[in-house]
Amino acid sequence: MAHGEVKHDYHLVNPSPWPLLGSLFVAVLALGFVTYTKGLFGLEPGTMWLMGLGLLGVMYVMFGWWRDVVKESRAGDHTPVVQIGLRYGMILFILSEVMFFVAWFWGFFEFAIFWPERTATWDAANPIYADSLSRFADWPPAGVETFDPFHLPLINTLVLLLSGTTVTWAHHALQHGDRSGARNGLILTVVLGMLFTALQVLEYSHAGFTYDGTLYGSAFYMATGFHGAHVVIGTIFLAVCLIRLMVGGFTPQKHFGFEAAAWYWHFVDVVWLFLFAFVYVVPYLVLG
Amino acid sequence: MPMDEITLDQAGQEHDHKPGFFTRWFFSTNHKDIGTLYLIFALIAGIIGYALSGLIRWELAEPGIGPLTMFVAGEGDAAVEAAKHFYNTVITYHGLIMIFFMVMPALIGGFGNWFVPLMIGAPDMAFPRMNNISFWLTAAAFILLMISMFVPGGSAGNGFGGGWVLYPPLSGLKGHPGPAMDLVILSLHTAGIASILGAINFIVTILNMRAPGMTIHKMPLFAWSMLITAILLLLALPVLAGALTMLLTDRNFGSQFFVPEGGGDPVMFQHLFWFFGHPEVYIMILPAFGIISHIVSTFSRKPIFGYLGMAYAMVAIGFIGFIVWAHHMYTVGMNLDLKAYFVAATMVIAVPTGIKIFSWIATMWGGSIEFKVPMLWAIGFIFLFTIGGVTGVMLANAGIDHILHDTYYVVAHFHYVLSLGAVFGLFAAWYYWFEKMFGVKYNERIGQVHFWLMFVGSNVIFFPQHFLGLHGAPRRYVDMAEGFQMWNAVSSWGYVITLVATAVFFVGLVEAMVRRRKAEANPWGEGATTLEWTLSSPPPFHQFNTLPVVKSEGGH
Amino acid sequence: MRALLTLLLTGLAAGTAHAARPEEGALGLQPAATRIMERLHFFHGFVMVFLTAVVILVLGLLVWVMVRYNRKSNDEPRRFSHNTLVEVVWTVVPVVILVLIAIPSFPNLYYQDAEPDLDKIAQSGDLDDPNVYPEAAEKGWLTVKAQGNQWNWTYQYPDFVDDAGYAMEFVSNPLHVGLSDDPAHTQDAPRNLAVDYPMVVPANRYIRYQTTASDVIHSWTVPSFGVKTDAIPGKLNQGWFLVEEPGVYYGQCSELCGVNHAFMPIEVRVVPEDQFDRWAETMMEGDYDAAAEIVAEIEPLDEEATRLAAAQ
Ligand SMILES: [Cu+2]
Repeated sequence: MAHGEVKHDYHLVNPSPWPLLGSLFVAVLALGFVTYTKGLFGLEPGTMWLMGLGLLGVMYVMFGWWRDVVKESRAGDHTPVVQIGLRYGMILFILSEVMFFVAWFWGFFEFAIFWPERTATWDAANPIYADSLSRFADWPPAGVETFDPFHLPLINTLVLLLSGTTVTWAHHALQHGDRSGARNGLILTVVLGMLFTALQVLEYSHAGFTYDGTLYGSAFYMATGFHGAHVVIGTIFLAVCLIRLMVGGFTPQKHFGFEAAAWYWHFVDVVWLFLFAFVYVVPYLVLG
Repeated sequence: MPMDEITLDQAGQEHDHKPGFFTRWFFSTNHKDIGTLYLIFALIAGIIGYALSGLIRWELAEPGIGPLTMFVAGEGDAAVEAAKHFYNTVITYHGLIMIFFMVMPALIGGFGNWFVPLMIGAPDMAFPRMNNISFWLTAAAFILLMISMFVPGGSAGNGFGGGWVLYPPLSGLKGHPGPAMDLVILSLHTAGIASILGAINFIVTILNMRAPGMTIHKMPLFAWSMLITAILLLLALPVLAGALTMLLTDRNFGSQFFVPEGGGDPVMFQHLFWFFGHPEVYIMILPAFGIISHIVSTFSRKPIFGYLGMAYAMVAIGFIGFIVWAHHMYTVGMNLDLKAYFVAATMVIAVPTGIKIFSWIATMWGGSIEFKVPMLWAIGFIFLFTIGGVTGVMLANAGIDHILHDTYYVVAHFHYVLSLGAVFGLFAAWYYWFEKMFGVKYNERIGQVHFWLMFVGSNVIFFPQHFLGLHGAPRRYVDMAEGFQMWNAVSSWGYVITLVATAVFFVGLVEAMVRRRKAEANPWGEGATTLEWTLSSPPPFHQFNTLPVVKSEGGH
Repeated sequence: MRALLTLLLTGLAAGTAHAARPEEGALGLQPAATRIMERLHFFHGFVMVFLTAVVILVLGLLVWVMVRYNRKSNDEPRRFSHNTLVEVVWTVVPVVILVLIAIPSFPNLYYQDAEPDLDKIAQSGDLDDPNVYPEAAEKGWLTVKAQGNQWNWTYQYPDFVDDAGYAMEFVSNPLHVGLSDDPAHTQDAPRNLAVDYPMVVPANRYIRYQTTASDVIHSWTVPSFGVKTDAIPGKLNQGWFLVEEPGVYYGQCSELCGVNHAFMPIEVRVVPEDQFDRWAETMMEGDYDAAAEIVAEIEPLDEEATRLAAAQ
């Protein structure tokens, strides 16, 4: 077991400033957020610059970090065994994201399914809740106009499903060395992703309820909004892959960055199907 | 391993290209250095958390509200009012610090980082740079938490005083409108991201980087325990993050998730919290289980009894850990049949836990036991964890839990499994691997004194709390009612004993660092069979440049 | 130490009037005032047998291996690492113990948590069955709602409605809040337990208690009754109990609820039916102090009178 010469294929990464810097900016971001909402350190509530600084810093670190990863990959550090590790890592990351969505769905289901049971035991004699009782006797509460799932949401579903096929097209093209096909497929995917986001914004702007004020609104926007944020992240991820493809990155054999983006995109896709089914369609059918 | 190869290892050290001080410790991508950072961090956080528990015991030593008034502004009754809130913040931060910034960083970040790669014959973690952000994010989270102690919580004073469980509406705008609670939330978010990234790192390392020939069923039990812990972290933490995010937007953007006036449901938070919170207690104890197995085997000079049973008992504990969460909520007004289910599921956990306890004893049976310091802690762990475990069986029964819930019985129970369980496991690991990590020997006698003082002291603290709880003493009380005085006084004297024990611990640490007795590669002899003992002490900066090969008949 | 002794002695001497409050130096559960708590006493003792046995077994085995298999006694370790028989034993025996524990546990849980059907008990309840009270069942439920507030309890008696349609309701404030102007604590007003206007219920009546809260979560409990139910804003929980012996019973808020969490005690005065009626009447008239005076001294239970009242 002699040391000295490295005789394994694992990737021993060189020391890096990014983790420390990244954590620093995350702390700044957190402090900035609280400063913005509540005021901290003598700064008035509404102060944005601290949060902005944190956000810029975090984005800078992400850029620098992943640029290093790409460089290392090109330098040949991502041997087959390292690539397997990266794949495991991405799968596990997506798994943890799934559990994140479990929290939203769990909340939504609980609020929707046990609504009558909960409101039935509300204490009418308690004047504090008398108002709530009359406002929230039904789920969704009176005055909340829910979406018709078969208009915009259905279109969005088709958009997202289509983007799932275009990203697969790009993947196959890439595997077969058809770089222009891969490029076209990716461009289309990114455009569809942006279209989804745009349609979602359009839908939100026509909403008959808001995030604050009602539980339904909170649960609805948290679930769909968190998904929307993932669509944006996924779109950026795919766009980065597109740029890397256009500047000559990726080979038919080695393109894990692209695969990770594609997996992530499929995950976002599947989550949307669940949202569409359980947040849009089922309540619409059950509640009319 | 033959001696000449070990000397070769040490010669190899000369060729280590260690980076300069700042790069090495701040930009680290080395699992051992990051492990050391985690241990130092946990030590600092542990001192703070332990000092807070000292305030609790000091305050409860005598009736009335006295000692805490010295730490708050104001005079007379104003100070008493401030001290009431201060007490609530002290118990809250004690819990949060001990869980998220002491036990987890020490067991998972510290010993996990150090020894998972060494034990499975890997040169480092799978993602060394991500490993470092796990550490620094934990540090950032701790700083956020510390800041939150000193910014307004609510009308009552600085800091958040709603307990580590963060139940709304007390943690909502109604209870704590100030920025302190927002900082607590973001601190836990940050610590959560750190732990999720760490968990991914451990899982990938264990699945992908085991030495050639080391099948999953030959992997050391500590690696097994870390694998299961990491899976629990990966699946449980996002749910907590979700709950915390809902709470954060309830507090800042007017959402109504847990706001009863808007139709929200505070109990929903408790479900989400405990869906994380219950696996969390296994996250804290499983690594200790792994460590204890190695120590017991090493000092009995005998292979671990029922290796597969031990490994799969942990798998079972991890799995069942996800389906018992509501046993923390028997009094919230849950559906009766649901309660019955949670009783049944919870009691089942006693079976795999029992298997572990008895397997440890069976490992010692027929062995040739040497009572070195780590073994003392390990035996102490087995006995005390058993006490904590059986009171858990009592509490699992919703009927009696109706009366014990939120009393000192619960406090005694979870301190027996965590303070006398996880922490004893932690000290056991500390002494077991001290020489390996730091390259110097600790003083055996000082270690023994540390153990005995701690053993006596922590039992004196926590055993009487069973009596208090059975008799109805509620938790989180700054001033106990008449009739609860005596055992509280005893409990506080126990703390004084642990204070001496802690002083002895630091004396031992300093003594070892000053004397610098030369470490051996394997001080424990033939009983120590895992791969870390084949390396020098401390191991070279990068170990296993040539991967070790595990022969087919070898193994755990 | 002398103070301790005095406390112990006074604690013991308090046994004349039936009361349940924490006793200095106590080791176990508070004395049972309800059938629910009696069953919990039994259950606790029953489970403790197994728990103690397991702990002693583990301790015994540890001591044995430490004595028999230390390096001096056994220099050559044996190498076995499997023994199917013992592994099966230590899996099956705990399962058996758990099943044994479950046998009283589930009926206990359902006894406490499922509201008894009073009509059925009144009609066909067995007078010798300690778990049911057919005579009390005939009188039906008396409902009391406890609403937790920061930091006191509001008790409401929906069965007592005045002409304007409002249910009898009053706030029960702690006597002691840890401040310098707290009244002295006495035998009748134990520190951090006594309140100004206690909750009052008749002995030998089925009491349905409901809990809710106006601000944050609290928890209503009386240890000697064996009941504890969270008081959650926006939620109405309920439970039941029946106390046979008149007396003063104490509990304390059991869910962290903010600054004065330690200072919102629960005092329940269980009195004979006729004393309760007088108290309720005075309360309805709005004279809380006079009503408190009525229940200051708990009258002894007149078995005959209660039986007669039940028969009428
Ligand atoms: Cu309370």
